[in-house]
Amino acid sequence: MIWLAWRQFRAQAIVASAALVAVAMALLGTGPHLVSLFDSSGLATCQSGCGTDAGNFINQVKGSTTELIFYGGVFLVYAVPALIGLFWGAPLVAREFEAGTFRLAWSQSVTRARWIAVKLGLICLAGMATAGLLSLMTAWWASPLYQAAQKAGQNSLSINRLAPPLFGATGVAPIGYAAFGFVLGVTIGVLIRRTLPAMAVTLAIFAVIQIFWPTVVRPHLIPPVRSVQALSTANFDGITTLSGGQFVLSVTSVSGLPGGWFISSQPITAAGHAITTSPACVSKNNFIACLADHGVKLAVRYQPASRYWAFQWLDTGIFLVLGAGLGALCYWRVRRLS
Amino acid sequence: MIWLTWRQFRWQAISGAAILAVLAIVLGATGPGLATRYDQIGLPSCHAMCAALAQQFINELEFGTYGKLFYAGLVVMYLAPGLIGIFWGAPLISREFEHGTHRLAWSQSVTRTRWALGKLGFTWLVSVATVGLLALAITWWASPIDHALNYPQPSPRFDRLAPLVFGARGVAPLGYAAFAFALGVTAGVLIRRTVPAMAVTLVIFAGVQVVMPQLVRPHLIPPVQATAPFNANAADELAINTSGKGPATMTLVGNFSKPGALILSNQTITPSGRVFDGPPARVCLSNSAPPEACSNWLNSLHLRQLISYQPASRFWPLQGAETGIYLVLAAGLGGLCTWQIRRRRA
Repeated sequence: MIWLAWRQFRAQAIVASAALVAVAMALLGTGPHLVSLFDSSGLATCQSGCGTDAGNFINQVKGSTTELIFYGGVFLVYAVPALIGLFWGAPLVAREFEAGTFRLAWSQSVTRARWIAVKLGLICLAGMATAGLLSLMTAWWASPLYQAAQKAGQNSLSINRLAPPLFGATGVAPIGYAAFGFVLGVTIGVLIRRTLPAMAVTLAIFAVIQIFWPTVVRPHLIPPVRSVQALSTANFDGITTLSGGQFVLSVTSVSGLPGGWFISSQPITAAGHAITTSPACVSKNNFIACLADHGVKLAVRYQPASRYWAFQWLDTGIFLVLGAGLGALCYWRVRRLS
Repeated sequence: MIWLTWRQFRWQAISGAAILAVLAIVLGATGPGLATRYDQIGLPSCHAMCAALAQQFINELEFGTYGKLFYAGLVVMYLAPGLIGIFWGAPLISREFEHGTHRLAWSQSVTRTRWALGKLGFTWLVSVATVGLLALAITWWASPIDHALNYPQPSPRFDRLAPLVFGARGVAPLGYAAFAFALGVTAGVLIRRTVPAMAVTLVIFAGVQVVMPQLVRPHLIPPVQATAPFNANAADELAINTSGKGPATMTLVGNFSKPGALILSNQTITPSGRVFDGPPARVCLSNSAPPEACSNWLNSLHLRQLISYQPASRFWPLQGAETGIYLVLAAGLGGLCTWQIRRRRA
């Protein structure tokens, strides 16, 4: 059965290996340049107060091909689980149904249960290995950038590996996504029994889950920390004053909480009530200082940077469990079909 | 032939229409609010301080729902042609080969050429029309934001010529859709298996879409060259690189403000014409000298900026050129397909 699974999976395995090798070569070719930029910025030996050095380093990277490669790598690590679900998962069983070859496969001495279990298990492992290798390679390549963000301290230079855009492309989370995407594809293929519709539905469901998970589910996996910060410690990316004295503050980072993932922030009065209007300060030049003078503080709910690995293992674990559940559904359905 | 193509294409057309409808509902529900806000802030009739008003408008939106919808619109416009190539283009002919139904189709009274042209033509038109409708809807929705983004901004990344936005506005998506569809059908005809054809289409289309903005688009129309004196006090970047191995080098990037232009290169050159890269004078490296000393030394060198850029006014010519190239490629691929289908000995 293992040989049969390999024989049917051969072409996809070769394509995946070739792609991994191509990515590895591209990363190896461009990695040393980033490392030399990092070395020459003096960050390697800096112990404290590295903010300006880190800022200079990032400015050199911004706008260059290196930035493009960084975001290309992030995009690739997000795309690979979807592609695995689409091209490895959905056709796995659906192709057999469409071509009628399931009749041959299921009339052999190997039981249906063993057939689906081996196919699912082996290719799932291959998918997880692909995603894991890719995540490892891009993490190695981008390590100067993440080190610079860590040393910068104050505001992590907008390279925040805990916050949604980068989180799912680092660490072990892509392994969980790949496993889930693959088993999702197989399940949809078993239920729909036509390859093309199965691929389309898998893509749609997987994309929707990946879009809503980081914003709706993940922030609440571990209850966020609540903290009251002085307005002067926060970095705002947008201070908007509307008519009627209403204002909106969007916080990107807070010094003293470097690398944190800020889920929500609310300006509060000294007594602790939320406020959204401040007619007294709206017309002033230094809006934030005026608010601070009036005793306004910032109540933030955030996830501290130290919880990065906790979230990584949570995400991976949850998606692996979901994948196992879908795999059991597949298994049961294939055994019951006639 | 048209009825047959429709009958075989029915489900894909219906799902495409359903997705378009959902997107139209989302855009229609949020679009008027955006336009109202744009009017409220006073931008349509502003005479002075327009750039500051525009900046305020952008700041308000960037981290709220409208900002997220804007980015989502960009993503959708870039994904749509690729998905159409993969799900509508690649299976068109390859599915017939895979199931052997081409033998039935080719033994009818309709000639192979007519069969191929009928299937290709009808589905190609529907694909381009779908992406065209989508582009129209999203451009309509985002027009307040696009107008605001084209005022002078401190760090422009989303003006019309920027690589991230250019391919999602105007007529360029139509060219992409035409090319992606033709690429998919060609891959299907040559490879004759659906799933590999889909994979090959995806890889080639993604490759072309990455290479085009970087290597080809900046040179579709010869860029404008400009020179300006380099002012160290107003430079965008003044960095000293010390790697410990050999003398320190300097990286200088001067400020060049041309709202909406696509800056291709901005080099700082010495009077003799070579790129200036240091070594920095002692005043720049010492901690005790005043900060103006380094800038004064740099200004005394009489450096110049050599800038190569595409001005904002070239948006539509560049769109036309790029769409033209993609349409020509699509037509070529369509011809290749038809010729291959006629040649096959079944």
